[in-house]
Amino acid sequence: MTEMHTESTDQQRIIKELQAIVGEKNATAAKHVRYAYSYDMSFVLPKLPDYVVMAETPEHIQNILRFANQEKIPVVPFTAGTNIGGLCIPERGGILLDLKKMNKIIKIDAESHYAVIEPGVSHGQLAEALHEHKLRFGWPVGPPSASVSSCAISHGIGGLNARYGLNSQEITSMEVVLPTGELVRVGSCAIQEDSWHSTMPMPKLDGLFKGWLGSSGVVTKLGIAVHPIPPVLKVFTVSCDNVEDMYSYMLNLSNYEICDDLTAVSWWLAQVPIPYPYREKPDDQPEWFSFANTNSFTEKEKEAREEIWETVVAEEQKKGTSLKVTEYPEEALRARTQLPSQIVGSTKNYCKMAGAGISWPGTFTPANKWAPVYNEWKQILIAHKLSPSVRMSMYRGVHYGMLRAMIPFGKQNPEENENARRAIVECLKVDLDHGGMPYKPPVDFGVEINRRAHPGYLELLKRVKQMLDPNDIMNPGKLGI
Amino acid sequence: MKWNIPSLKELEKYFWRCTACGTCRSAYDYGPPPNARPICPAGTEFGFEGYYSSKGKAAYARGVMDGTLDFDDPEFLEAVYKCTVCAGCQNQCQVDFKPHIPEVIEALRREAVARGAGPLPLQKNLVQSMKNYNNPYQGPRRVRTEWTRPFKKAKTPIKNINKKSAPILFYVGCTGAFNQVARAVPTATAQIFQKLDLDFGILGENEVCCGSTAMRLGDADEFKRVATANLETFQKLHEERGVNTIVTSCAGCYRAIKKDYTLSSDFDKMMAGIKVVHTVDYLYDLLQEGKLKFEKELPWTVTYHDPCHTGRHLNKFKVDEDGSELWEGAYIDVDESECLYDRPREILQAIPGIKFVEMDRIRANSYCCGGGGGVMTGFGDWAAKNAGIRVAEAMETSAEKMVTTCPFCHYNLNEGAKRSGSSMPTHDLTEIINMVLPEKE
Repeated sequence: MTEMHTESTDQQRIIKELQAIVGEKNATAAKHVRYAYSYDMSFVLPKLPDYVVMAETPEHIQNILRFANQEKIPVVPFTAGTNIGGLCIPERGGILLDLKKMNKIIKIDAESHYAVIEPGVSHGQLAEALHEHKLRFGWPVGPPSASVSSCAISHGIGGLNARYGLNSQEITSMEVVLPTGELVRVGSCAIQEDSWHSTMPMPKLDGLFKGWLGSSGVVTKLGIAVHPIPPVLKVFTVSCDNVEDMYSYMLNLSNYEICDDLTAVSWWLAQVPIPYPYREKPDDQPEWFSFANTNSFTEKEKEAREEIWETVVAEEQKKGTSLKVTEYPEEALRARTQLPSQIVGSTKNYCKMAGAGISWPGTFTPANKWAPVYNEWKQILIAHKLSPSVRMSMYRGVHYGMLRAMIPFGKQNPEENENARRAIVECLKVDLDHGGMPYKPPVDFGVEINRRAHPGYLELLKRVKQMLDPNDIMNPGKLGI
Repeated sequence: MKWNIPSLKELEKYFWRCTACGTCRSAYDYGPPPNARPICPAGTEFGFEGYYSSKGKAAYARGVMDGTLDFDDPEFLEAVYKCTVCAGCQNQCQVDFKPHIPEVIEALRREAVARGAGPLPLQKNLVQSMKNYNNPYQGPRRVRTEWTRPFKKAKTPIKNINKKSAPILFYVGCTGAFNQVARAVPTATAQIFQKLDLDFGILGENEVCCGSTAMRLGDADEFKRVATANLETFQKLHEERGVNTIVTSCAGCYRAIKKDYTLSSDFDKMMAGIKVVHTVDYLYDLLQEGKLKFEKELPWTVTYHDPCHTGRHLNKFKVDEDGSELWEGAYIDVDESECLYDRPREILQAIPGIKFVEMDRIRANSYCCGGGGGVMTGFGDWAAKNAGIRVAEAMETSAEKMVTTCPFCHYNLNEGAKRSGSSMPTHDLTEIINMVLPEKE
């Protein structure tokens, strides 16, 4: 147990109080239960929570948080624990609040194109339900069992980034339990019970709960925009020999706004699985592959998109770049276009060869900095005998997108774990210095962010955090402030 | 004879290959349309991560090996046995842990037994019964043949293969012999064989438990004892009684003899010339040859429940053991050719009058009835409750009856129906076939 905790609490009494709130079967301090929550796939070292509680209703959560405030016990929200930032590994023990039992799809408004879900709803579950209405959402390349809500409120990306933006930009309303236990609503649902269509034009209070790494409250209901499924899929695949040429192509194509997802991966990330340890790319292979997913409602629309793409290809080739129209490795293409996917989702793509560990510098970086950052990353990673398995994805617009290096490592071996951590932090520093920002950052990243941050930003962050969570019980330590 | 039953330590490199991604927690298929369903009975019931599928068991295994978790903690010991070892999670996994998942779960249990903690008290009774009576039901040997009395009475006694030769040994199994409800299975099987004029015999009172129960509970010594005895018996029957085929209607026995027994260094030698088949397999071949003819009609709408032990437990995994193809321990592929998915369905659909409908979770993604892995004995209420979930799934189809090919599933699903107040009965496929076969002329 944590020092803070043992000074002020009695474990038996705490457990009984928690069981009185959620029921005897839903609260425990059993070590084997706590152990299974103490680690994830990232380099973040394992740490045990003191208690594990499964909540089934917002009222449960309210009462748990009120109690936690009274006792000054940290609370760490958890749905599937598949984030690659150690976000659900408690920094200071406390109560691990498992929300998986809150897994109802409350509403799908097939006419108005939004859905309202609880935190435990998985991508696979929602994909099935939406498909019945011929609707879709931006499915990430994470496991089908991961939480839609957790991904969205952590600025997760999906397969519709280029068309609609990030999954956090698709949030239309929220119900949240504050760290102090009050139940609040944000967006249109605050004004009319059954209205979940938009967070605008009211003050954008949803920002208080997005990107805060579970440290500003517990989202108990989430409204998300969903979209029709255009039936005609066309994937454009190209390759380039260097990152500069690939960026040029992506920038050019993005200007036309025809893609649902415009992504490029380095040769190492196009392998299933990522080579571990690093091995040289064969000379006859391009260094970069791109897939651009387009979905159209008619053949004519598809042809119009094809015409644009062909124009872009011709322009790039005329410039003398190394761009070629090419076949994308088949299993990798399926993994990234047939979403949700078990191939990537199971991390078969990512870390199968290395032995179960995966971490990243996962960033939102100005697109015009991708090339210089990638070139530095490549040197750092190879020096650490790690593959420069990098992804670039253009978000909506052309000004920024994801730049991310998926770094597998052997989780059983502490030296490999530490080697990966050091390399990733070094990469992160390079990215920060070029204006990028990491998403779902582990504490190691938070330290680097805050070191560089505007004092006004930090001050504001602290003030808001203190206002919402005066006892600092909500996933403490994760923001590094 | 040497038995290659791995210890938890020997499997450590594999459970460290679990990425904790959670893909194991639900049966998902991209489709389209996409389909996502719970697959883990323990996760469904208990909810906490450690109970959930192979991710949870990998955590337990790591905790035992690093000394954090101790079998002296009764709650942890229970948690290790709160798993039907159905391999539903294994079917979802895509990484190198996949081929070893049920092995690791059972190795955890072997570790518990080796340290003097496991199995659980009620389960210890099973193992003690095996030592005393060569069956887990505390049944005296003479009770093993009670199901054959009607055959004697009808003057169509079943051959005693200890005394008379026959090419086919019908290995009955303990559940079929001692469980009153499950006796319908060997009864139907023997009636079918007699109607088809097959030359078969049984071991009768001399039959010894296949050892599946002991293996699933982690008592490797007891498993080895009975398995060794059975291998010696099978070899002797082959040499002295002309047995060349062992047929069983029990999914558990089938899995044990077909898979667990191959852990013996002498398996190939002792089983040379002997084929091991499930009754369904055997009858399917006869159907294909035109020797199994259904004369009567059964105007039923039925659905089929795939038992774990005749299904995904019979997967064969291709693993790069020495790293010569990909890397050491790489999971390469899975061969489902021995899994009995299609054959029972084809037999059912060949029966006149039968209308066949499928549930959602079928074949390799079949939802476990909840009876396996020692759960029926250790946690009877939960086993029946879980079976009720499966019965409810059957009722969502238009089926009036459920059919299966495992006496454990047969018993547990009927218990589950009772408990949930459902009128849907579960029959064994042998019962159905027997109903539509003509009497012997």
